[in-house]
Amino acid sequence: MEFVISHMVKSYGSKQVLKDVDFVFEEGKIYGLLGRNGAGKTTFFNCINSDIDINSGSFYLRENKDTDNKIELMPEDIGYLVSTPTVPEFMTGREFLKFFLEVHEEITPDKTIDEYFDYMMVPEDDRDRLLKDYSHGTKNKMQMLLNIIASPKLVLLDEPLTSLDVIIAEEMKNVIRSQKQGRITIFSTHLLDVAVDLCDEIVLLHNGRLEPIDKSNLGNSDFKEKIIAALKDEDNA
Amino acid sequence: MKIMLETFRKTLTKVIHLRSIIGYNGLVFALKKTPLIGKLLPDRLYSTTALKVIYWVFHIIKEAFMLFIGKIFGLGMIYLISLFLKTEYVAFGMEKGISEGNLFASFALLFFIIYALCGIVVKKPYFKCTTEKEYLVFMLRMDPAKLNITLFAYDLAKLVIGYLIAGIVAIIAGAPVWLWLGIPVLAVFIKFIGIGSQAFSFRIKHKRNKPMKENATLYVIKVSLLAMVCPFVFMMIMNGFYIDLPIMLAVVALLVLLGTLGFFEIKRFNSNLHRRALHDNVAKPQVDMFKDVDNTKHFKKIKAKGTVSSKKKGFEYLNALFVKRHFGMLMLKPILIAAGTLIILGLFIAGFISSYYREAGGEACMEMVLTSLVNILLFKGFPNELLLVEGTVNEFFRYLAQYHLLVLLIPISISDNSFKSTQAMYINCDNSLMTFSFFKQRDKIIKLFDIRLKQLLKINIAPAIVFAFVANLVLFYTGGQDYPFQYLVTYLIAITISVFYSMIWLAMYYLFQPFTTTVNIKSGVYNVVRIIIFMVLSIIVWIPSHSLVLAAILVVITALFVFFMRKLVYKKAPKTWKIKT
Repeated sequence: MEFVISHMVKSYGSKQVLKDVDFVFEEGKIYGLLGRNGAGKTTFFNCINSDIDINSGSFYLRENKDTDNKIELMPEDIGYLVSTPTVPEFMTGREFLKFFLEVHEEITPDKTIDEYFDYMMVPEDDRDRLLKDYSHGTKNKMQMLLNIIASPKLVLLDEPLTSLDVIIAEEMKNVIRSQKQGRITIFSTHLLDVAVDLCDEIVLLHNGRLEPIDKSNLGNSDFKEKIIAALKDEDNA
Repeated sequence: MKIMLETFRKTLTKVIHLRSIIGYNGLVFALKKTPLIGKLLPDRLYSTTALKVIYWVFHIIKEAFMLFIGKIFGLGMIYLISLFLKTEYVAFGMEKGISEGNLFASFALLFFIIYALCGIVVKKPYFKCTTEKEYLVFMLRMDPAKLNITLFAYDLAKLVIGYLIAGIVAIIAGAPVWLWLGIPVLAVFIKFIGIGSQAFSFRIKHKRNKPMKENATLYVIKVSLLAMVCPFVFMMIMNGFYIDLPIMLAVVALLVLLGTLGFFEIKRFNSNLHRRALHDNVAKPQVDMFKDVDNTKHFKKIKAKGTVSSKKKGFEYLNALFVKRHFGMLMLKPILIAAGTLIILGLFIAGFISSYYREAGGEACMEMVLTSLVNILLFKGFPNELLLVEGTVNEFFRYLAQYHLLVLLIPISISDNSFKSTQAMYINCDNSLMTFSFFKQRDKIIKLFDIRLKQLLKINIAPAIVFAFVANLVLFYTGGQDYPFQYLVTYLIAITISVFYSMIWLAMYYLFQPFTTTVNIKSGVYNVVRIIIFMVLSIIVWIPSHSLVLAAILVVITALFVFFMRKLVYKKAPKTWKIKT
C-alpha cells in the first residue's frame, strides 16, 4: 500500500505554505518529516487530516505503484497524534478507553483495558483519574494507545516526543517502531537527531515542498551537515 | 546634579521610545484583530515610519491632555468648591475669626489632602511592572532602581506642572500665592508618603520572604477609613464649622514630615528590592489586552465524581458521563430559573390567598383553595370554582393565554442553556475527540447529535413546563378552557418552542463549529446567522395566533426543522465540525 500526494497546494491569503507537495509514502516505513519551525509541518498534517481545506492537488491511497486504482482516504484510515495532546478532560483514562473500544465496534480487542494500559506503561494510579490531571507524557501515551487500537493505515505523528522526558520519549520511540508494520507512519520533527534515530526515511519540508533525502547516507557524518545546508538554503527547491 | 539629570534624561528617552513602540504595535495588533478590517491590513504596517510619527504626535497630545485634564478636574473642582463654600460662609456670616483668604485656603487644603490621600490609596501599585518595564529590566537588563526613580520623578514633574497651571483658578479666586505654590509641593510630599509606605511594606515583606504584593484586606481598611472621613467633613460644613488654618498647616507639616520619611524610605529601597517588587507585580502585557479573553477557566471546573450505569455503551456512555461531570454547569441555570419562577408564582398565589382570606374569611378561603385545586386537577370540571380576578385585566391576560403563547419564546430563550452547553461540549469533549478520525464519521456524528439533542431537551424542559404552567394558571383563573385539552396544548406549545430553540443552537454548533480553544467565537457566518435568528424570532414572537392553530403550526414546523437540520448536519458536519485555533 502507498500513500500518494499529488501537487498539493495550501495558501493562507497571499502566503503559500505548501507550494507543490508531490510525494509517495510506502507501507512499513517510518518517514521523518523534517522542517524548520514554521515550515508548515502541522499545516501539512492538518490538510491530510481534512482539518483544513487544500487549495489544489489531491491525496489518496493505492495498492502499489503498478496499479492506478485510487482508494479514497477515509477519516478512519488516519491516526493523528497532535503535538499538544488533547483528551476529553471530564473522563478518566479507563472510562475513555472503554468508550473508545465500544464505539469501534469493528475492533475485536485482543487485550483487557488494564492490559492495554500495561502495554503503554500507563501508571496504575493514573488509570482512574480524570484525564485533565494527567501529565503531558501520559496524555501522549493515551493518544498513542488509542491510535494503536484503531490501527489506521496512515499514522501522522506531529512532534510527539517534544517536551517528553527521556524515559517516556524512549518508551514512545519503541512503541512507534513496534507499530510500523502494515501501515505508513509519518513522523514530524524539527530535531534532526530524533529523525535520524527513529526514521527509515527522511523527507525535508522546505520552501513548501517535500524533498526526499537519500537514505543510504543515513548515519554518515556528513549527513547532518548536508541536511542543515539544505534547510538553510532558501532557494533550494 | 548635572550627571543625575543626564541619567534621568537618558533613561526617560529609552522608556518613552519603548513605550511608543509598544503602544504603536499594540494598536496595529488590535486593528489587525478587528473583524473584516483586520484581514485587509498588511503586516508592513508595523514598520511604516509615517504612521509611527502620526501615532507619536497623538500620543504626546494624549499625554498632555491627561496631564491637565486630571489636574484641572481634581484641583479645579477643589478650588471651585472651596470658593463656593467661602462665599456661602460669608453670606451666612459664619466666617467669624478668619479672613476670607484663609477660609478659602483652609477648605482648599482640607479637600486637597483628602483628595491626595484618596489618590495614593486607590492608586495601583507604584512598583507595577508594565510591559515597558518588563522589557527594560528583565530583558534589556536596565537598572530597575534607576528606571523606577526616573519614572517617579517624571510623574512628580508632571504633577507639579499640572497643579501650578490648574492653580491659576485659585489666584483668580483670591487665594494667597503661598497656597498656589504650596499645593504642588504638598502633592509631592503626599506622593512620597504613598510610594514610601509601599516601599516600606514591600521591604518588610521581603524580609519575611513573602511576595511583594499589596494586601487586599489592608487596602479595604484604608479605603473604608478614608470613606469614613466624608461624613465628618459633611457634618462640619452643614453646621457652619471650619478648621482653623494653623491646625490645617500643622496637618500639612505632619504630612511633609511623613513625606520626608517616605523619601528616605524610597532612597533606602535598593536595586535588588526594586527588581523583586517589579517581578512580583507584573502587569498583563499590553498586547494581551487585545487578544481573545480565555474563557476556558469557567469550563474546567470538573471533578471525578460518580460514574454511570454500565448498561450505557459508546456515545450514550460518553454523553451520560459528560452530563454527570458537568451537571452544575448545564443544569444550574434552567433549574434556578424554573425554581425562581415557581417561587415568584408561589408568593403571588400566597398573596392572592391571604387577601382573599382577609376579605372572605377562613372557611370561604379554604373552599376557594380546595375547589381551585380540584379544578386544576380536573381541567376545570368542578362547577363551584371561585374567581377573584375580574374585569379588563382579566380579559387582557386571558387574551394573552389564548392568542399570544408565542411570547413564551422570550422566557424560554432566556432560561435555555443550549448555547453554553455547546461551548462545554466543545471545550471539554469535542475539541479533543475531533483529533480522532472515528469522531468525524457521518454515522457517528449523527448518532451523537441525536443523543445530544435529547439531552438538551431534558436540560431545558423544566423551565418550559413551568412557564406553560404559569400560562395555564392565567387561563384557569380567567375562565378556564375554551376547548377540551387546552391546558395540554399550552404545554405542547412550550415544549415545542423549547425543542425548536435547542435545535437551533445544536445545529448551528455542528454546522459552523464557531468556537476557538479559548471558547471565543471565530466565525463571521455564525455571528451573522445568530443576528438574523434573533431578529426573526423577535418579530415572530409578537404574532397573534389561536393556541390550537399555533400548536399545529409549531409541531409541523419543528418536526420539519428537526428533520432537515439532521439531514444537513449529516451531510455537512464531517467537513464543518472541526477544531478552530
